[in-house]
Amino acid sequence: MKEQWRLLLTGYNTASVNMAIDRAVLVANSEGKVPPTVRFYGWSPPAISIGYFQSLEEEVDLDSCKRFGVDYVRRITGGGAVFHDAELTYSIVISESHPSIPKNIMESYGRICGALIKGLKNLGIESEYIPINDIVSGGRKISGNAQTRKSRTVLQHGTILMDVDVDKMFSLLKVPDEKIKDKLIADVKQRVISVKHLLGEDIDFEKTAVAMKTGFEEEFDVELVEGSLAEDEVELSKKFEKECFGARDWNHRR
Amino acid sequence: MLNLKIHNLSSKEMQSKSVYKVPNGKLLKISLDYNDDIISKIRIMGDFFAYPEEAIEIMENELKNSSLNRKSLLKKINSVIKENKIEFIGLNAEGLTEGIMMCLK
Repeated sequence: MKEQWRLLLTGYNTASVNMAIDRAVLVANSEGKVPPTVRFYGWSPPAISIGYFQSLEEEVDLDSCKRFGVDYVRRITGGGAVFHDAELTYSIVISESHPSIPKNIMESYGRICGALIKGLKNLGIESEYIPINDIVSGGRKISGNAQTRKSRTVLQHGTILMDVDVDKMFSLLKVPDEKIKDKLIADVKQRVISVKHLLGEDIDFEKTAVAMKTGFEEEFDVELVEGSLAEDEVELSKKFEKECFGARDWNHRR
Repeated sequence: MLNLKIHNLSSKEMQSKSVYKVPNGKLLKISLDYNDDIISKIRIMGDFFAYPEEAIEIMENELKNSSLNRKSLLKKINSVIKENKIEFIGLNAEGLTEGIMMCLK
């Protein structure tokens, strides 16, 4: 019988709830309370997440966020700022000692991205992993990923772009040099691509999630069984939402 | 790539920022306060990865009172990395040293 992992489908949530759930699952798994977990989720309202080491005010135009009703949050993972809009976001939480997870961080990025590559293939899209943390199709980025390891447990989360609006993204993000902003936007338009663009048709969240679920099952030779958050995880995520991801101290700490 | 220096005339305290693309790595942004070539405060920012993440605050604290000399800075950064078992991805000791030294240009 195949090893069973938990699948969480938590739907659309605010930025602070989304990040609180990922962290709660990380803690619960590290304490041996829940099995390896793959989660698919979306963001409502749309949101910008920034990497742990980034400066919120240097990266994000907070006035524009307010104007457009866009949320923002600091992640516990490193990496760059991401505008979460028409995308599928995944997270995987699994013990560092699980035989499927390479000890080496870069190798483990590659392994987990392998699940997404198989998922994209299920949608008819060829793609490849490009270190450090991107998946590209035809040389253009379709997925960004970020990993942390805490208490001997891996949390990797990332996005699959279902559609992309680079102009809107740059109305929310700050650029180091305003003078070259137009060129930067043109460059990014050339460097990113979405599932919708590649397939030539709209694709919904559920269909993308089904393809990715199968991708994870294929890559890790496991069965993903739909479950729900344990009581401990619900409590923890409420605590993290209030004390961390929804708190000014955390989001503005850099 | 980019730096901005502000001289506070009321004291010798200087503030400076740099943005440096680490070769084969990520974008590093340094915000530096210094006085007579001694670091008084540093913020190490950017889209790199560091494990454990909290070690970046240890690095920032350890670099306080360090001299802005490329050789000694690199040595100090390497020793903090070793002592705290920090693993950088998209950043390294040389890149961090370069980003800090760029604040002086």
